[in-house]
Amino acid sequence: MPDIGIISSTIVAGVLLGGILALTALGLSIVLGVMRLVNLAHGDFLVVGAYAGLFFLQFTGIDPLIGLPVVAVFVGMLALPVYSFLLAPLAGRGAEAQMMTMFAVSIILENAFVLAFSADTRSIARDYATVPLTLGPITFPLIYLIGFAISVTLILAVHWLVSATAFGRDLRASAVDAQAAATLGVDVKRVQMLTFALGAACAGVGGTLMGAAFQFGPSSGGAYLLNSLAVVVLGGLGNVIGTLIGGIALGALQSIGGLTLGDGYRDLVGMALFLLVLAFRPDGFLAKGRT
Amino acid sequence: MSDAIVSSPRVGSASTGGLVEVAVLVGALGVLWFVPDFAGDYWLQLGFRTCVYLVLAQGWNLMAGSAGLVSLGTSSFIGLGAYAALGLLNRVGAPLPLALLICATAGGVLAALVSPALFRLRGLYFTVGTLALAELLRLLMVNVSAFGGATGIILQEDPPALPVLFRYVLVLAFLASLTITLCTRTRVSVILRAVRDDEDAAAQMGIRPYRVKLGAFVLASALAAMAGGIQAAKLGAIEPYGMFGLQWSIDVLSMVIIGGVGLRLGPLVGALFVVALGEALADYPEAHTAIAGVILIVLIRFAPQGIVGLAVKLPLIGRVQA
Repeated sequence: MPDIGIISSTIVAGVLLGGILALTALGLSIVLGVMRLVNLAHGDFLVVGAYAGLFFLQFTGIDPLIGLPVVAVFVGMLALPVYSFLLAPLAGRGAEAQMMTMFAVSIILENAFVLAFSADTRSIARDYATVPLTLGPITFPLIYLIGFAISVTLILAVHWLVSATAFGRDLRASAVDAQAAATLGVDVKRVQMLTFALGAACAGVGGTLMGAAFQFGPSSGGAYLLNSLAVVVLGGLGNVIGTLIGGIALGALQSIGGLTLGDGYRDLVGMALFLLVLAFRPDGFLAKGRT
Repeated sequence: MSDAIVSSPRVGSASTGGLVEVAVLVGALGVLWFVPDFAGDYWLQLGFRTCVYLVLAQGWNLMAGSAGLVSLGTSSFIGLGAYAALGLLNRVGAPLPLALLICATAGGVLAALVSPALFRLRGLYFTVGTLALAELLRLLMVNVSAFGGATGIILQEDPPALPVLFRYVLVLAFLASLTITLCTRTRVSVILRAVRDDEDAAAQMGIRPYRVKLGAFVLASALAAMAGGIQAAKLGAIEPYGMFGLQWSIDVLSMVIIGGVGLRLGPLVGALFVVALGEALADYPEAHTAIAGVILIVLIRFAPQGIVGLAVKLPLIGRVQA
């Protein structure tokens, strides 16, 4: 049995990592809520964010954490043509058409990463990625705390945007009933486009944080996507604060799973939770979104 | 659910069309049976791959085209079948046809077991759930040493010769096509389409959507497990990353969409197309998959009924097709 220091360190690290996981899932969640689209390329958007952070550091020498706004805007801008040229023309053709299109985008991106950046795994090498932080018996990498702080701040900002601004009102209206919202003068297409871009921007930041905390490669998108889906399922569709809670829950449970069963079981715990929640608590996360 | 991806093909005259289809299938089996007598290994390899793909695509098409279930978890059942087949061949020494039958049963049972979770929510969540299932099984196989862990397991006896395998997989493709023909040319097809087009209305008419979807999912999963089993027997060595890999699910989805979702000839045309594309771009695997992605996007946008759907629109072929 591991000692109390290891146990508490693991749980704290899991919770902090969970905050980052929540940010990586946020874009998926709001896009799902507003557009009824399971963005199967979401994981690859995160990978774009990780590469963007990496190359930002390499070319400017500026710390990618300072460059996060640039990365966010960059990835958000990339999402705009994806929406206008690929998704918008499929509006009214049902959810599957858009989802499959994003699946195809995912395939293309993943192979484009290999062609452009090679299949090597990389990481955004910074001191804070490896420096351990010690608080009494608890030790965890500093990047977890930094990432957690940035993630929670950003999630709260998005929560504010959704719940307290005029854009947020339009967004919520479009999520509940797009047709009714359109009748009442909401430009649903614009709301969807901005939501999609916002989701991608969050993915950009989340991807950079993941790239700083862990190694990543061209095919990391699949694992990112599945983790994000698990967070969304745990936390609740389109529910911003729920996503934060879902992320923290997943992070903590994965860490506990890894500690008790062995490290290889971390991701397995996530997938098992995901399917269990689907089986037993489906309404908890789809209260707003039943089609 | 209303969507172009799974929009309705027209209903042919059921009974005569069905008999013609069965006759064509039997004829094709009779002719192709003798292919190993004169074709070289290269063509047998291609034929084998096409048949495996056809089995997978037939099942996927039944789910998506007829019951509105878009699956990204085909690899779950391929992997299951592969592990079950090699386990049976190695441990029990079962003959291959028996092993394949057990694979089919295992695939169907797994589908039935996970269906409560996957069917609780409609549409997209089925897709997402199947994706998670494949990942779960892969991680399980990687981590559990009894299944060989990350290195997988090896077939202890020599794999059957290629001509033998070709005939097995040919019969499998024949049986899969025949089953799907029976499903789509009888009253079952009406029930399937009713569920696909409007679950609630179908339920009011006395159809039980849950059972119909379950039936399609179980059948498709049994087919995928058999395809996985014979693929494993051919490979002789399997490991979790390959057998549970997303590439299978990508391939089968691409085939059916490229061929034409919900159309009888869709899986065959799609399988031939994907095999041919793979051969043409064999030296550029990344470009191959990326090009398949581009083709998918273009077809979903401009030809949601795939190649067969386009062909049917041409007046001459359209009249013959019915």
